[in-house]
Amino acid sequence: MDKLLPLHEPSAQDRRIRLLWLLIAVLFVSLPHLLQVNIWITLMLLGVSAWRYALEYRNWSVPSVWIKVPLVFAALAAVGFTYRSITGVEAGTGLLLVMLALKILETKTGRDLIVVSAICWFLMFAAFLREQQLWAIPYILFGISLSVAALIQIHRVSAVLPARQVITKTAGIIIQALPIMLVLFFLFPRIPAPFWAMSTVGSSAQTGLSDQLNPGDISSLSRSDSVAFRVRFNGAIPPASERYWRGPVMTYFNGREWSWADRGEPILSVEELLVGGTYYEYELMLEPHGREWLLALESPVQWSQNKAYLSANLQLISQIPVRQRIAYTARSYQFVQKQLPDVERHIQAMRHLPSGSNPETLAFALKLRNESSSDSDYLNRILDMFRQQNFYYTLRPPRLGNNPVDQFLFASRRGFCEHYASAFATLARAANIPARVVTGYLGGELNPMNNDLIVRQSDAHAWTEVWIDGNWLRVDPTAAVAPQRIELGLDEALSASDFDFRRNMRNTQLFRQAILSLDAVNAAWNRWVLAFGPEMQQDLLRNAGFDKPDMRDLILLMAISISLLLAALAYYLRFGIRSKKDPLLQTYETFCKKLADSGVIRHRSEGPASFAARASRLRQTDRSHIESITQLYIRLRYESIGSIVPAAELRQLTKLVKAFKPTSD
Amino acid sequence: MKGPAETLCAISAGIRNALRERSNQWILKRQGIDDVSVTLHRRRTYILPTRAGAFFAVVVLMLLIGSLNYANNMGFALTFLLTGVGLVAMHHCHRNLAGLCISFKQAKPVFAGDKAQFEFIIDNTDALSRSQIGAGLKEATAVCGDIRAKNRAIFALPLVTSKRGWITCPRIELSTTYPLGLFRAWAPVHMDLQALVYPRPTNRLQTILSASSAQSLSGLSLIGEDEFSGLREYRSGDSLRNIAWKSAASLGILLVKEYKEGGQTPLWIDWSQLPYPETETRLCAMCRLVIDADAEQQVYGLRLPGVTVSPEKGHSHLHHCLRELAMFAPAKPSRS
Repeated sequence: MDKLLPLHEPSAQDRRIRLLWLLIAVLFVSLPHLLQVNIWITLMLLGVSAWRYALEYRNWSVPSVWIKVPLVFAALAAVGFTYRSITGVEAGTGLLLVMLALKILETKTGRDLIVVSAICWFLMFAAFLREQQLWAIPYILFGISLSVAALIQIHRVSAVLPARQVITKTAGIIIQALPIMLVLFFLFPRIPAPFWAMSTVGSSAQTGLSDQLNPGDISSLSRSDSVAFRVRFNGAIPPASERYWRGPVMTYFNGREWSWADRGEPILSVEELLVGGTYYEYELMLEPHGREWLLALESPVQWSQNKAYLSANLQLISQIPVRQRIAYTARSYQFVQKQLPDVERHIQAMRHLPSGSNPETLAFALKLRNESSSDSDYLNRILDMFRQQNFYYTLRPPRLGNNPVDQFLFASRRGFCEHYASAFATLARAANIPARVVTGYLGGELNPMNNDLIVRQSDAHAWTEVWIDGNWLRVDPTAAVAPQRIELGLDEALSASDFDFRRNMRNTQLFRQAILSLDAVNAAWNRWVLAFGPEMQQDLLRNAGFDKPDMRDLILLMAISISLLLAALAYYLRFGIRSKKDPLLQTYETFCKKLADSGVIRHRSEGPASFAARASRLRQTDRSHIESITQLYIRLRYESIGSIVPAAELRQLTKLVKAFKPTSD
Repeated sequence: MKGPAETLCAISAGIRNALRERSNQWILKRQGIDDVSVTLHRRRTYILPTRAGAFFAVVVLMLLIGSLNYANNMGFALTFLLTGVGLVAMHHCHRNLAGLCISFKQAKPVFAGDKAQFEFIIDNTDALSRSQIGAGLKEATAVCGDIRAKNRAIFALPLVTSKRGWITCPRIELSTTYPLGLFRAWAPVHMDLQALVYPRPTNRLQTILSASSAQSLSGLSLIGEDEFSGLREYRSGDSLRNIAWKSAASLGILLVKEYKEGGQTPLWIDWSQLPYPETETRLCAMCRLVIDADAEQQVYGLRLPGVTVSPEKGHSHLHHCLRELAMFAPAKPSRS
């Protein structure tokens, strides 16, 4: 018999246990932020948690209004001062953590725990704005579980539950909620464009490509191993020397600096292109870089990204900056010819050189061109010069002055791809050959785990394109000086002076294997989970048999699925829960079944003692067994204190019953 | 002087109360008056979000808008898991209450001014254990507790009494906010229950005694116990003081010593003999006399206008008398 008792104040111990659950939930959820935010916020949250627990432990009252109000204002001011604003993701996260700390300090009854929980959920969301790696899944599951457990504990009027029971109940709720989550995740109508975008990718964090190229200003190229994009080929994979991924095309040169001016370029319609040669089909998953350019293998003709166009420089450009990881499929042809209506004007711009800059280069170019039989011959002579004279490939070139091309060609002769591309394009333009510098990536590492090509920021490259015989021709002058750079990638091409500990690490077999495995998992995660959006949702519905799925279909399908799930849940709660059978009774029933199999069937009304007596008469040989089992059973059943059966004796009974083999008729 | 905030609070409380009254009227009309034992079927278990539940919904909505805005898939996962938790919690909350069977056990008579205790039994016939079931009169939850699977629980709801007669138990409400406090499921039960309230016995016995005529109280001059006449089997209502414990222990049955009553003159507690002008005061004084007479093992009788309880003693006689006092309705005109 249970009893419903009059409401009473929770005991000190109960209050303490509840607070402990709350603090565990709060600290777990703040975990990803604690190392990211300003140190004083971390210290404040930890300190306040410890303080609050000490108050509860000593049974002291929480701080009065005269301490709390100044504390709130001081904390808000401190956040504003630290981040110089209170909006934006970073400042917002800091603000949430400070609010959380203050709320914990204030929580007296636990009824406003729902506010603490809400702050926790917003914090989890804020963590995903920064990063959405695989750890997000356990983070969500444990974070929500802990707040559910804390809610269960706090809403108990009676004494708190033992930890095991809370965990069981919480696990039940979470497991039942998971199917609902999955259905909503896949079927909730996704909309393509954000309402208002707040950049979550810091603009300063970019490495790799830029919309300017200024070789003279770089004295050391820092290389980042972070992934620029991943590619999965549908069919053939191009050889390493053909993996030119086109990015921003630099057409404007001011003597020092090449710049990207494609935004103003006319949009090219695909119908005007003449294509030929082999083609490659692939899906490219681009990490966010905050700019408009998209990467594509030379030269893209078809692409799945809606809001993207091909510029006259054959560059794929997105109409909105790439702020989230996006995936698109594309088809690239080896040879593309275009018939521009205004070819002359187009290429005329690519001949332009600022007057007065790099005079030595100009003079040298005119002389060399006069010696050459044709444009091609002239360009080949330049490449021969790079190849035969003492030009070096290095990531630590000297800084160059006002006429960087002059200095590079005739003095330093040290540089990396950008120097060579810039110099080559300048030389071409000096001989009145239209030329442009293309930046992008070269190569990529093929992951044997999933056949993904991983292209890293350190694969960034620059090369040139020249207008020969009415067509654009790719020339990679870096190949002349460091041909292995094309074949092997940047890492291998570096000379011994560029020894790098990390590179050594990366080259050990085991480490490389581990990195590649991890990348395969991450790629799958990005491809199937993080990239899920309006397009994949449409595909999902089409695969499910909808011809032209629209919003109404989605909502209908979602509503039906959720209703079915909830009906199943209601059914389970109503009929599905069975009480656990009493282990003692179960053991005895096994015993009776054994006897019944041997021919002695227990009547319904027969008590254990009388049944044993009858069975012993019928089975004289098993008499001692029957009696010892029955005696033990009766003792455990009727003489146990309360309903708790001693485990040792129950085990003994189970053993006896297991060993019992009655002789049959 | 009331501030605008207080006025607003008062208005919202007024609206809430009015709404609650309307819904209760509707529920009563829908369910009718219940039997003394009633199973809380699903269709009579109601559920609404609590204030925390409404807040939760707003938070989930904000998270959803954030996720849509940033097209953040882990944000969606978080939002939708919370949605799932909310929906599951709603079902758990409703199921936690539905299917319980509440039966009225008893309501022992009390003296006016004491709390009448309406006792109930809740049967949980399911294999599902019930957590944090609250019960109370009207909206206020008075008691709360867990009920294990296939078990029953008892509880008592106190009701303040002020005057004698029958007191009616108002609507009973069973409720739960388990598991997360986001929803509150409740089941109103309208049983037609009454408890008897005896008049409050007056303290001023001395006054009564001195004011009373010697004639009516002649029976009070009793000395000791009567002559022992023999043993008989225990009947309910016998005073514990008369049980022959030694014989009972040896024989295994309860025996009661019987005394000859021949020498005892019955005490009459008589309405007309008491000097109070007011009906209620007089009844209170009579109540005191009845209780004292019973405590002293007297044989006593009760005389009220129109009602006479013949002299006897024992537990059931006491309650018979008290009941007559509680129920007494003076004829018009009230005084002879």
